[in-house]
Amino acid sequence: MSDDISKRCCLANESEPTVTRSTVPMWIIVVTLVLLFFGGLYFDSHGDWGNQKLYKPFTSAEQLETFQPKSGAAAVMAQGRASYETVCGICHGSDGMGKPGQAPALAGSEWVTTKGVNRLAHIPLAGISGPLQVKGQNWNLAMAAMGAALPDENLAAALTYIRSSWGNQAGEVTADEVRNIRAAIGNSPPMLSREQLLALPE
Amino acid sequence: MKNGIAIVFAAVVALGASWCGLVLAPTLQLGGAKLTTVLNSPDTYPLQRTGEASLGLQIYRANGCAACHTEQVRQDGIQAELMLTALGNYQPEDFKAFTESLFVQQALEPVTNALAINLKGWNGSLPFVFLTTSDKEIADKINQSINVPGVKSELRIVATGADLARGWGPRRSVAADYLYDQPVQLGRLRAGPDLANIGVRQPDANWQLLHLYAPKAVVPNSTMPSFKYLFAVRKIGAALAPEALKLNAEFAPAAGYEVVPTAAAKELVAYLLSLRANVPLYEAPFTPVTTKP
Repeated sequence: MSDDISKRCCLANESEPTVTRSTVPMWIIVVTLVLLFFGGLYFDSHGDWGNQKLYKPFTSAEQLETFQPKSGAAAVMAQGRASYETVCGICHGSDGMGKPGQAPALAGSEWVTTKGVNRLAHIPLAGISGPLQVKGQNWNLAMAAMGAALPDENLAAALTYIRSSWGNQAGEVTADEVRNIRAAIGNSPPMLSREQLLALPE
Repeated sequence: MKNGIAIVFAAVVALGASWCGLVLAPTLQLGGAKLTTVLNSPDTYPLQRTGEASLGLQIYRANGCAACHTEQVRQDGIQAELMLTALGNYQPEDFKAFTESLFVQQALEPVTNALAINLKGWNGSLPFVFLTTSDKEIADKINQSINVPGVKSELRIVATGADLARGWGPRRSVAADYLYDQPVQLGRLRAGPDLANIGVRQPDANWQLLHLYAPKAVVPNSTMPSFKYLFAVRKIGAALAPEALKLNAEFAPAAGYEVVPTAAAKELVAYLLSLRANVPLYEAPFTPVTTKP
C-alpha cells in the first residue's frame, strides 16, 4: 500500500514523458521493398510505364502493334484512301472528279476501270504526257511519276481504291502486280505517251 | 515540439506523393492529348462539336444525366477472327480437308480443337467465321496458309467484353473520345444504359425528343424520369408546328394543344447525337464492319 503511494508520487514528479527514437523493424523494410518490387513488375507488364496509347486489354506496345488491323478488304481500301488523298487527290480531287485544266476525272474513266491493271499501273509509275482522251474529253497535260515514290503496297491500295470508288467497279490491284511492273520499267523511266500506253497489254 | 521539422517534412512528402500520383502523372500522361486520326484513314478524330451540341453538354450536366448514365464502354479482351469470304472454284469439302491437313503443324495445336468444331458445324454458307482466337500470330499463320488463288479470307480484329456484347459500341472508350468534353462526364452508375455511342445507336432526333418527353412512349419498361420541363405545351396556332412531337393518345396533351421542344431540349439531343465513339483508333483497334457497295 505504502509502496503504491510512493510510486504515484514519484511518477507525478517525473518530467514530461517523451518518446525515444527507435529503429524501424527490419521486417517492415523488407515487406515494403518486396511490395515495391512486385508493384514495379505489375507496372512493367501492364502499363508500359505510362504509355498513353496503352489501354486494357493490351499489356505492351508490341502486343498493341500486332493487333492493328492490316489485312482485309476494308483495311486495303482505308490505306488506299489515305495514300490517294495525300498524293493523287490534290489534283484528281478527293471525289475523283478531277479538276478542269489540271487533271482528268478518275470516276468513270475508261483508263481506270480497265479489265487488267497493267496500263493503269504504268501511269503513276512512269508518268504520262501529251494528248489523252478521258470520258470523251481531250486533255493535253503531263503527269509526273507521282506514284513511283509510294511503296508497292500503298500504290496498289491507292489503285484499288480508285478502281472501286465513286461508282467504279473494277477489280483490285495487288502489291505483286505493282512490284512486277516497277521492276520491268526500271528506275526513272521516261514519261509515256497515249500511243505507248495503248501498245501495252491491258 | 521536438520533431517539428520532421513532421512538416513528412506531411510535404505524403501530400506531394499523392499530388504526383493524382495530378502530375495523369497530366504528364494525357495532358498533352491532341487530335488524333482514325485508324487507316486520313480523317481526324474526334470531331469538334457544333455550337448547339456544345450547349447541350451543359444541359446534360445541369440535368444530372451523368448520375444515371455512363459515357464509358469497357473492354475485356481482343480477338482475331478469321472469316472466309470466297472459295473460288473450291468446294466447302475441299476447304475442310485442306484446313484439317494443317492440323499436323505443332504451332497450331492450341486452336485445332476449336477449328475442328467450327468446321464440323459449317453448312458451306459464306461468309463463314472459322476461327476466333486471342493469339494473333496463329491467326496470321492460318490466314497465310489458306492463301490459295480464289480462296479469300479476312482477318478481323474484334474487341470483346460484356459492354460490347450489350451493343454499346464496337470498342472501349479511350481518352481521345473526351477531348472536347468540358467537363468530362464519365458517370459511375448505370441506372440507364451507357451513352458513349448513343448517336450511333439511336441517331433519330425525333426518337430522342420523344424519349426525353415521355420515356415510356418509346421504351415501355423505361425507368427514366420524364424531362417534360424541357418542352413547351402550347395552343396549336394556325396549324400544327412542324417540330411538334407526334405522341400517341396515352401521352398526348389535351385536344388543341401541341408539345414543342424548347431550345434546351434541342441542344441536349444535338449533344446526344454527337456522342459517336465508333471509329477504330490506334489505341483501340478493331476491324470496322463495312457494307459492300
